[in-house]
Amino acid sequence: MLIFYKTIDKRDNRAYIYFVIQSYFYKKLICVEIVMDKNQQQEALESIELIKEIITRTQKEMSLAGGGWIAIVWGVFCYLGISGQKLLNLYEGQIGLWWGGLTLLALGATYLIVKASVKKQAQGKGRKVMRWFFLFWLPLLLLAYTLTFFCILLPGISENYITIFILLVVSTGYLMLGFLFVKELIIMGILGMVSTIVTAVFFLEYNDIILSILFGTGLIITGLYINQKWKKLS
Amino acid sequence: MKEHLAITLDKVIHQKTRLGLMSILMVKKEAEFNYLKEKLKLTDGNLSTHMSHLEKEGYIKIRKQFVKKRPKTTCGLTEKGRRAFSDYLNNLEQIIRVIPKD
Repeated sequence: MLIFYKTIDKRDNRAYIYFVIQSYFYKKLICVEIVMDKNQQQEALESIELIKEIITRTQKEMSLAGGGWIAIVWGVFCYLGISGQKLLNLYEGQIGLWWGGLTLLALGATYLIVKASVKKQAQGKGRKVMRWFFLFWLPLLLLAYTLTFFCILLPGISENYITIFILLVVSTGYLMLGFLFVKELIIMGILGMVSTIVTAVFFLEYNDIILSILFGTGLIITGLYINQKWKKLS
Repeated sequence: MKEHLAITLDKVIHQKTRLGLMSILMVKKEAEFNYLKEKLKLTDGNLSTHMSHLEKEGYIKIRKQFVKKRPKTTCGLTEKGRRAFSDYLNNLEQIIRVIPKD
């Protein structure tokens, strides 16, 4: 526009009038563009808000996929573990081997469930679930088994504390998961910790049976509840 | 100003219902018709129209099958749809970035 203004001959009235009219429409055009920009920006913000809301909601739903079956597997693990331990106690069998083998089996089953649920998720999202699974629960399990190992090795610590240590670690895991992802897990973590501490203080002798039944039942009920919720959602 | 004018949003995705549908499919690999109907609060006809629109553009793939003698319709994003959605997001970001807030 400025270049055009410089080139026009001001004595030529027609060109000058043409310039004035054109600049008037140009200003109008800019105003319309600014209004359109504002609308477009508002629309863009609304669209981003909508996408964010829907993706967060769907991701939260997807986090339930397979979660129920994982809880059921570990609930059954508790029942099988304690039953096997009591039987092996009678026949002086290898309890450590039993729990170790059972843990590997449960881990294998969990891996398969996670893998199956990852398949249902869109590209790229699955990797996050797998990473979460390996970076969170595996170190916790390792910690639990290291503590167990110390309980067996160190003469000053009673073997009665093995289950207590493991379940305190698992409850901490639930608490952490609850704070990070699903709030309902905070309640499970607190219940786990309280029941473990109460059993350790008042029923230390029978702690393995009491806690296995408590955690086993809790996990199976939670698993069934999650499965039901997932069925409704999907 | 000129930089902004070059940003054009994909009109097929920009429509709110279709945007919601695409967003769900960005997380879920496949979604059932009834699931989408409930989540997006739409009628059968309405959802069908939007799905057909997206399918025509090649953004989604609709799969119709019979499960236990009952019809089951599922859909999922195609590679083209995924790319279009990513481009759409980039454009939204650009619009927000380019235009001054006041």
